[in-house]
Amino acid sequence: MLVMKNINKIFQTADIQTHALRDFCLQVNEGDFVSVTGPSGSGKTTFLNIAGLLETYTDGEFLLDGEDVGKLNDNGRSRMRNQKIGFIFQGFNLIPDLNLYDNVDVPLRYRGFNAKERKRRIEENLERVGLASRMKHLPSQLSGGQQQRVAIARALATDPRFLLADEPTGNLDSEMAKGVLTLLEEINQQGTTIIMVTHDAELAQRAKRTIQVKDGRVSELEIVSPQMNQAIA
Amino acid sequence: MFSYYLRLAWISIVRHWGLSLLMVCAIGLGIGAAMTTVTVNYLMSANPIPEKSEQLYYVQLDSWDVNDPFDDGLNPPDQLTFTDSSNLMRAQKAFRQNVQAQAFGVIEPEDPEMLPLIVNGRANSADFFTMFNVPFIYGSGWSNQSDESKEFVVVLSKETNDKLFGGEDSVGKSIKLEGNMFRVVGVVDTWQPKPRFYDITTGAFNESEDIFVPFHLIADEKISRSGNTNCWKPTGDGFKAFLASECIWTQFWVELKTEQEKEDYLQFLNAYVEEQKQFGRFQRPVDNRLSNVMEWLEVQEVVADDAQMMMAMSFMFLIVCLLNTVGLLLAKFLGKAPEIGLRQALGASKATLFSQYIIESACIGILGGILGLLLAYLGLKGVEGLYGDYMQGLASLDTNMAILAVGLALISTILAGLYPTWRACNIQPAQQLKSQ
Amino acid sequence: MLETGLILRALARNKIGALLIALQIALTMTIMVNAIFMIQDRQQQMQRDSGLDEANTFYLTNTVFGQDYNIQAHLQTDLHMIRNTPGVIDAIQINAVPLSSSGWSMALQHEPGEDKDAVGSAIYMVDEHAINSMGLELIAGINFTQEDIELRKDGQSTWPAKTIITKAFAENLYPDDWQSAVGKTVYISQTQPMQIIGIVKALQAPWNGWNGVERSMLVPFHRESKGSYYFIRTEEGRRDALMPIIEKALAESDKERIIRRVTTVEDTRKRSYRQHNATNKTLTTVVITLTLITGFGIVGLAIFSINRRTKQIGTRRALGATKRQIMSYFMMENFIISAIGNVIGCIGAVGLNMWLVSTFNLSPISFELITFGVVALFIVGQLAVLYPARKAAMIAPATATRTI
Repeated sequence: MLVMKNINKIFQTADIQTHALRDFCLQVNEGDFVSVTGPSGSGKTTFLNIAGLLETYTDGEFLLDGEDVGKLNDNGRSRMRNQKIGFIFQGFNLIPDLNLYDNVDVPLRYRGFNAKERKRRIEENLERVGLASRMKHLPSQLSGGQQQRVAIARALATDPRFLLADEPTGNLDSEMAKGVLTLLEEINQQGTTIIMVTHDAELAQRAKRTIQVKDGRVSELEIVSPQMNQAIA
Repeated sequence: MFSYYLRLAWISIVRHWGLSLLMVCAIGLGIGAAMTTVTVNYLMSANPIPEKSEQLYYVQLDSWDVNDPFDDGLNPPDQLTFTDSSNLMRAQKAFRQNVQAQAFGVIEPEDPEMLPLIVNGRANSADFFTMFNVPFIYGSGWSNQSDESKEFVVVLSKETNDKLFGGEDSVGKSIKLEGNMFRVVGVVDTWQPKPRFYDITTGAFNESEDIFVPFHLIADEKISRSGNTNCWKPTGDGFKAFLASECIWTQFWVELKTEQEKEDYLQFLNAYVEEQKQFGRFQRPVDNRLSNVMEWLEVQEVVADDAQMMMAMSFMFLIVCLLNTVGLLLAKFLGKAPEIGLRQALGASKATLFSQYIIESACIGILGGILGLLLAYLGLKGVEGLYGDYMQGLASLDTNMAILAVGLALISTILAGLYPTWRACNIQPAQQLKSQ
Repeated sequence: MLETGLILRALARNKIGALLIALQIALTMTIMVNAIFMIQDRQQQMQRDSGLDEANTFYLTNTVFGQDYNIQAHLQTDLHMIRNTPGVIDAIQINAVPLSSSGWSMALQHEPGEDKDAVGSAIYMVDEHAINSMGLELIAGINFTQEDIELRKDGQSTWPAKTIITKAFAENLYPDDWQSAVGKTVYISQTQPMQIIGIVKALQAPWNGWNGVERSMLVPFHRESKGSYYFIRTEEGRRDALMPIIEKALAESDKERIIRRVTTVEDTRKRSYRQHNATNKTLTTVVITLTLITGFGIVGLAIFSINRRTKQIGTRRALGATKRQIMSYFMMENFIISAIGNVIGCIGAVGLNMWLVSTFNLSPISFELITFGVVALFIVGQLAVLYPARKAAMIAPATATRTI
């Protein structure tokens, strides 16, 4: 379960202060598939970065699986990212120097699995996204959709509780995009919580729950949980 | 994880081979240049007789012109007069003592078919061989009794023995040297101290001698002396007058076992000079010195200026190469910013990233070190070829130097990699993950 | 240049990268200028005139080992034989050879006495054939005559009454007018008078590292010694042919001596300056490699920075920048970095030189050399950045619109 209470994020440069998130409150339950929409600059990426522990917040409270993220140091955050969170990006972000096998291997290495376990997981997840036969290929030898599938395999390899996706279909044509989304739905059905940032309304609607971010706040909730009602009130 | 980082480093080095090659070459050249000059300096300043360099002392007395000091007053004369070295020899105040000078002569082989041989020799005392741990194949040096009874004895070098006796045991046989018959008492095994510490005045890196004969033969005019002669006062006519003159041309070594013995010997020298002052000699202030082997090499500046200058230059050269490497590593690591951001997202901590990139730097360092070793080997061959005899035997790499080369490369590259790695670890993941 | 301000701001954002190149240029400059300086210094030393007809002279050692050997009689026969060999111009007996690194020195003084200042000089014991045999040029006074030549025994301490000295030595003894040295009396061995009868243009001492290498004197002696040199001058181009002929003739004429080390003066010079030559070659290698490393370093970093700025460069092209403008941007950027490097480098070069001057007795560096270093490094920098800059100019404007 992910709980954010009154999270603020202020970017401070020499003479400008930007308030990216203002008293941001959100709760995402186990097994949810949440899509986050909002106009450019609304703060949805900042929200995702904080949710993914890639960025720290200025103040507020953030509990991930009951653990207070604010109390973690850099190492602790790295461990938690590795154990509980999987990422999918718009730009796929595969390491160009490494082949597919080695790309999926990266988080498993940081997890410290033994060689046998890593091999099993890599093969299993590449199988799952339908690219097991191409594991010795470099990312540059694949199409965009295939690259995104590898990124998903990599994200799932550590069995994360949460899958954070930032415009996962933004660089794909609609046919490929549908394929990727179907895959995400399957994953969600198997129990992984998914939070997906997108500006594509059609895509967003396929999620179980949609929230909209505007000026750094959660401005609209379609499916409201009782606790969150109180929080906003 | 270590093997994983090694594999990642290898992939990265191979994928960006141009940049890697540039760095490996830069480090290799820097290390190669530094190691070449370090080796030359190291061998020039090596201790030629480590087992007893602390117990062997070179004697200096200031017998020079009262109006015009030797060496502008920086050091007392570098040799002794015949009078003084004979007196010190007679006094026998040290555990062992040796008076010596360079000599030369012609050997006429018995076999009339063989051409006469000009040999470089050393005229020295019996103690020379024991003091300097001279190794023998056959026989030994001559005894102090031989010196006293002025026997015509000779010790041959291995090479000379090969020439004259075909390498057989020649002890007891005779050779004709400068018209006199000499009895062979020993044959020296290959012996080439570098530097040739026992006589720096005629070249610290010269070959050791072909023959060794008793020093008294010079005074008896049975063998001709060579080497350096320095005079400050006119001498009388004839060889007797020359021997009695203030000219310096003999070298005197003593072996003293303890610090106390050294003190005592210095006392003795001072007393000796005071005594000589009464005969109108030694008009300069008393300045007697006892220098052990390494001190003596230092005083005589055995390590050539050129070699030191080159070493300074080569280290600056290495710094340029390292700056180059810092720049290229920085470029390389910052070029990987997206990958670094991603790795952080996937759970890499700063420490993990630090290890990964330091190991990559170290790999480049080791490759550079190996290339450097190869270049140092070629460099030393080149130095030997260019400088010829002067560098003979001074240009060889030993295991110590090889380890030092790779070690130096490794350490300097890790140092060079520190800043780029630090920068790489501090990349903010969030900024790297957004596609452009 | 319009873009200078822009470049400066861009550099300020990437201080470390620019600084690394600047430092590299500075150190390269420091080393390069000092190395070239040392090379020049040695070259000047090597170019000094030995005074000898180097191309046509050679010498050999004559070592007598026979007992009861009439050295003087053999000397006369030997010299007579050599001088009459067809192709030989002249020959002498001599005690040392210029540049050979072993010889004899004495000091001359204006006044007799133990505590008077004296000037050191190399001594060459020769007869009246010396000027002709060595190819010297007598520029004042007269040569020795046969009557002047005395026989010197080993260990003899008296000196002849006449001497011929080099011009450099005369200038040292008589700084106001070297020509006035002719006819003057000087003292050797503190008290023995000697008259200067002639001056030769040049004749170097045996020791090339000695600061008095130009000071030599000829004394009219034949030596009765068991070891001596014969110094021989041949007609143009006949030296090499005559060397073995004379060696053989001498060796066969007399079995109680050894003729060795038949050596040309040219070889002696080579040997004498071998270290100089070697050091120069090493320094040249250092300078070239260093320049290459710095050059390639600039290439590497420039390519990297251009790769990183591909999109930005594409955008500039899309906004109307010409290829020329893109190129000149990078050339200008390198020029600014080089300028910073060169300023630091000048300070470094002078600093290193000051250290060399104080530690190794080198002379101070010249301004021209520093200027040369600056210009050279600007050129190296511009050449190094040329290829990356061209690469940058080739980036298509369309890059700007491409994602990823």
